[in-house]
Amino acid sequence: MGIQGDRVRFNVGGRRFETSATTLANAGRDSFFGALFDRNWSLQTDVSSDIFIDRNPDCFAVLLDLLRTGEFCIPANVSEKSLYREALFYGVLDHVRDAKWGQLDGNRLQYSRSVSGQAPGDGTAIRASPNGGCCVVHGSMVHVYNWMLEEHPPINLDFQRVNDAGWIDSENIVITACERLGTGDGGMGLFNASTGELRYKFSVSHEDQEKSYTAGALTFSSDYRVFSSCKGRRNEYGIGVWDQITGKQIDFFYETPGWPLGDADRLQWLSGYNCLLVATLFPRKDNCYISLLDCREKDPVWYWSDVGMPTNFDEKRVRDVIAMEGKNSVCVVNEYEDLGFMDLRRVAGSVRWSSRSRMTKGKMPDEPCYPKLALHDSQLFSSMSDSISVFSGPDCVPTSRLRRSYGGSICDFSIGGDRLFALHSEENVFDIWETLPPSII
Amino acid sequence: MSNPQKKRNFQIEAFKHKVVVDPKYADKTWKILEHAIHEIYNHNASGLSFEELYRNAYNMVLHKFGEKLYSGLVSTMTSHLKEISKSIEDSQGGLFLEELNRKWNDHNKALQMIRDILMYMDRTFIPSTRKTPVHELGLILWRDNVIYSPMIRVRLLDTLLELVLQERTGEVINRGLMRNIIKMLMDLGSSVYQEEFEQPFLDVSAEFYKGESQKFIESCDCGEYLKKAEKRLNEEIDRVTHYLDAKSEGRITNVVEKEMVANHMLALVHMENSGLVNMLLDDKYEDLGRMYSLFRRVPNGLSTVRDVMTAHIRDIGKQLVTDPEKLKDPVEFVQRLLDEKDKYDGIIGSAFGNDKTFQNALNSSFEYFINLNPRSPEFISLFVDDKLRKGLKGVSEEDVEVILDKVMMLFRYLQEKDVFEKYYKQHLAKRLLSGKTVSDDAERSLIVKLKTECGYQFTSKLEGMFTDMKTSQDTMQGFYSSHPELSEGPTLTVQVLTTGSWPTQSAVTCNLPAEMSSLCEKFRSYYLGTHSGRRLSWQTNMGTADVKATFGKGQKHELNVSTYQMCVLMLFNTSERLSYKEIEQASEIPAADLKRCLQSLALVKGKNVLRKEPMSKDVGEDDVFFVNDKFASKFYKVKIGTVVAQKESEPEKQETRQRVEEDRKPQIEAAIVRIMKSRRVLDHNNIITEVTKQLLSRFLANPTEIKKRIESLIERDFLERDSVDRKLYRYLA
Repeated sequence: MGIQGDRVRFNVGGRRFETSATTLANAGRDSFFGALFDRNWSLQTDVSSDIFIDRNPDCFAVLLDLLRTGEFCIPANVSEKSLYREALFYGVLDHVRDAKWGQLDGNRLQYSRSVSGQAPGDGTAIRASPNGGCCVVHGSMVHVYNWMLEEHPPINLDFQRVNDAGWIDSENIVITACERLGTGDGGMGLFNASTGELRYKFSVSHEDQEKSYTAGALTFSSDYRVFSSCKGRRNEYGIGVWDQITGKQIDFFYETPGWPLGDADRLQWLSGYNCLLVATLFPRKDNCYISLLDCREKDPVWYWSDVGMPTNFDEKRVRDVIAMEGKNSVCVVNEYEDLGFMDLRRVAGSVRWSSRSRMTKGKMPDEPCYPKLALHDSQLFSSMSDSISVFSGPDCVPTSRLRRSYGGSICDFSIGGDRLFALHSEENVFDIWETLPPSII
Repeated sequence: MSNPQKKRNFQIEAFKHKVVVDPKYADKTWKILEHAIHEIYNHNASGLSFEELYRNAYNMVLHKFGEKLYSGLVSTMTSHLKEISKSIEDSQGGLFLEELNRKWNDHNKALQMIRDILMYMDRTFIPSTRKTPVHELGLILWRDNVIYSPMIRVRLLDTLLELVLQERTGEVINRGLMRNIIKMLMDLGSSVYQEEFEQPFLDVSAEFYKGESQKFIESCDCGEYLKKAEKRLNEEIDRVTHYLDAKSEGRITNVVEKEMVANHMLALVHMENSGLVNMLLDDKYEDLGRMYSLFRRVPNGLSTVRDVMTAHIRDIGKQLVTDPEKLKDPVEFVQRLLDEKDKYDGIIGSAFGNDKTFQNALNSSFEYFINLNPRSPEFISLFVDDKLRKGLKGVSEEDVEVILDKVMMLFRYLQEKDVFEKYYKQHLAKRLLSGKTVSDDAERSLIVKLKTECGYQFTSKLEGMFTDMKTSQDTMQGFYSSHPELSEGPTLTVQVLTTGSWPTQSAVTCNLPAEMSSLCEKFRSYYLGTHSGRRLSWQTNMGTADVKATFGKGQKHELNVSTYQMCVLMLFNTSERLSYKEIEQASEIPAADLKRCLQSLALVKGKNVLRKEPMSKDVGEDDVFFVNDKFASKFYKVKIGTVVAQKESEPEKQETRQRVEEDRKPQIEAAIVRIMKSRRVLDHNNIITEVTKQLLSRFLANPTEIKKRIESLIERDFLERDSVDRKLYRYLA
């Protein structure tokens, strides 16, 4: 019979395999093997025959090895895609994903692969999903890829120009788009990541009237709120707040004079402070404004601006900003990739520019992309032209550099699901960087 | 051309652009799966091949027949559940629950197998179409077709409630079956459990316990009732752990608490002959503990118990401190207070779980009634005096500490701590001067305790007294070493006391015998020689003397007497008989003291070294005294006490009282000035409050007295009244 003691014999698509029930138990109960060996399905007691499975034997061999060793290696004769398909059949796709790459460490990143798309024009943004997929914003379209980098149906919101996108979870994407005057098109919508269908459109109302608006920067908080900068034509300038679960608008921060919230380039929720970081940067405005809004007080509890700074500060113009809660500081970067820091506990302090020698000086590309910042654990990432620098430690010293010559400057990058995605501006291509699973020895 | 060719017929088929799956394919595949589901429900699954079924389900989803698969599943499962529902409805009386349970288990097993087959659909098709997953679907269909079937719904609830009632009346039921059925309701969702069982269960329980508690309260005494209530409560908790949702515990115990405890709280506490007061009187720790643990579960329960206890303690305490019979013996009086305190400490400790609020109630009750009797401070001091004189003899150090701590506890209750201090000082002075104190360590330990309680000021004079004693010893040594010739003849021990530290005594002198007065003069010159600028005055009324005496038949005795007595006895060295008048003239002892001292020399049986004529109880002006030649005692040393009033006499009490009042005045004034100095302006009521607060650690200041002090301070230009608002006072720097 197929089972003798712990031993199991299979005939998969004509090839015989022999393994143990213990190995197969690694697949878990919610898998083909888990069900197969459940005592509800008293397996046929025919001694002579193997357990027959009408599937591809080559793929089975790879997946069996995965269950045996916990490692996932793709041999030359099998395509990655067919392996994923088979893994889905057996219900072990999660095992494959876990084995494919390890916990992200900025100093141990390796280039995995590039994906190129057909969208016209420059990409605007790339956003990693929590489980290792991503979405790429091109003009009015958002292309969605799952972690296997299979493309899902693209998303659009009334074919309006998309400003930002974000993952609520690995199944749901929110995108923000420009309004189409007078039609109520555009704004902000929630989409199913795999089908691309629009599930919900967030609305802004003012004095009980629904308004059409342009949504800009986007962020989420851990207590299920959505924040987006909004621009309407009347009083709806500011930051809108919605509940992720009900989709209802629950708050609105109106713009105070001289403090352009509706044009914000970057929003970041700081759960430790229970505050929202709002940054409006050059070149959208002539000056740079950074503030921390307290949700209950509706008041900036911390702010900084370069209004009224001396004119020779050109090279110190802030291009991106990120708050590091663990260090109680705000990190900013200028167009030469100089990092600067501000203390979040002192209002109206000044930027402490780090005095490290500029690594990129002297060889600015013709079409530079402005630096972007990202944070993962305690590591700080900063993109500059065609490379991404990694800074570690309490003083944020540069420790690694990620670079690919193909595709031109990096216009945006994102970290999520233990992967780093970098979107290039010239060619329509993005790179995936991963950390290898922990070594065996 | 001539090449004849066979005509060939080509049949050209249209090229198929689209691969169409055999339309019957889906039906065929579904038939296989449907058949399998039937077999599974019919316990006939052994012939099925899991691999084949899984592949078929997979193929259906792959070829876009997911919708067909899903709707087929719903209708097949529904029809099976309808059948099941019918068979449960048909089950006979007692077998109903068993049948339901069996079918539920069957359904669960089938559901698991169906889910196994349809795993691929569960993983891919269902999330993308946002349909209900297979397992959840199975539960919902079971709920709608079985549990909500009208024939089953009511019967199920009735059966469950009937079983609970049976168990409450002492029958044994099948708890395992109960647990399974309840678990099923919980699996179907907490709202199903709540609606189909929990709420009706709670309602029925409330009704049940309402009736039962009424019955109990009419037939049981309080202790018994509490026992029964506790038993019921534990039964319900037990029930929850055995077969109900853990979340129901709070709800059902609430019902029992409300019906059995909260609704009968007052009746229980005040129950005649067995209520709380009786329990307290009879030390029924177990019942009290039960009452505490039950009452703490209901709102206002503990405060009810506490209030009754407080009222009872105050009552008892009031009787204790105002009963004139009990006031006769101060030591006994204080001992009773301590016993009472121990009793309630014991009750609170062992029955009321050392509840802080009960301890506070006990403390405030004691504070209340101890201060009802103005003599409490004196009595407590006397109690200490008694303990330190003799009570602590042979008692271990720890036990001494225990007693002292208890005394301190009573002391804390006193409002007039300064009165205590006055008495304590007097009693301590007597102890020190007569050398009667049992243990120096115990004395000092108590002083340290008083110091921590009331601060340095309170004890500085008491400590001064100890220092005087110590210095006097050194002085005496110095005196004798500088006068070696004095080793012969009578010995003098002088204690030099600092005025102010000691209770003031009117300096009454008497004529000392010549031997003594010369010795005293020598000491005076010695002392003033070593300490310049001091004044010595003799307090002969406080001294003692050891006198060697030889009586008529040659009996030799050493008599331990007071200085006055010594003076009197020495007179008999030169005369046989002396009249009262003669003694008074010769010694110049104040009349009252002299009478007392003669009384103890001549009238105490066994200690009568003098005899008196005529023999009467009192000492009269015309009495005549002579040495009692027949004096006999089996001891060589004879201690002749003085007849002293242990408790204060009425005028003395008045005097002490007055001194206390006098001492309070500067303290009140100091407090007023301190407060006004920092506040500058304050109205009358606030001054009174603040002053009272500041002085609380020493005594409870009398508002009229404070007012008088304020007026006196205004007269002396420390304060002034505000010219506009007469209620305001201003500080004048």
